[in-house]
Amino acid sequence: MEFQTESIGDDIVVIRGDGRLNMVSGPALRETVTRAVEGGRARVVVDLSRIPFMDSSGLGALIAGLKTAREKGGDLRIVQPSTQVAMVLKLSNVDKILPAFDSTEEAYGD
Amino acid sequence: MTEERKNLVFSAPPDDVDAVHEFLETVWEANLGVSEFDRMAFETALIELASNVIQHAAGEGGVTCVLTVEADENGLSASLADTADAGGIVLMDRSMPDELSESGRGIALIQALVDDLRYERVDEHNVWSISRARESGGS
Repeated sequence: MEFQTESIGDDIVVIRGDGRLNMVSGPALRETVTRAVEGGRARVVVDLSRIPFMDSSGLGALIAGLKTAREKGGDLRIVQPSTQVAMVLKLSNVDKILPAFDSTEEAYGD
Repeated sequence: MTEERKNLVFSAPPDDVDAVHEFLETVWEANLGVSEFDRMAFETALIELASNVIQHAAGEGGVTCVLTVEADENGLSASLADTADAGGIVLMDRSMPDELSESGRGIALIQALVDDLRYERVDEHNVWSISRARESGGS
């Protein structure tokens, strides 16, 4: 899976993928976040609306991205997780550090 | 109620967990009575199991697996037999790691999603079995 990026404002990047987020696609997500953050965009939004399925490797990639963004003073926020993705976040007790937002605007509306 | 038993043989590499997802599509198509939630929970557990097996065997030069999935009126079950060396994966009761941990959740997730998870070493194969009872009220 390839991830698309869209820059918003001075420091926000929206990352979108279409497919399953797992041990196959997780490394590409990590690299995409790292590139964006190193390029000066540390406020990261990962749009999950077209990710029907995520496993713990995919979740590991999201958490790695969150840490990468935070190290540069930013954050990583997720938008529109599917029912399955929301289930994995909740069972993993990660829904508190990665709360779901309805839209990119809402994710960085603060 | 359809009773269905299906098999998949895959080798990683070149196959990966996407082969298991595609195989499960055919299982769900043949078993339309399985609820959305049961599918989601079972697929998540089975993918975690297959990922673990593939990942741990990566250093051994790969692995061949025979996966059998059965759906009947009682629920869903799967057995995954692999050719990896014994002892690669430890199946103790696992608790979820720290929230910022990037790994170590696979077995804990499986345990949260199925009723039974077992491991046996049979004829130089690792045999993993999972089962999940049907949600009450299912057809």
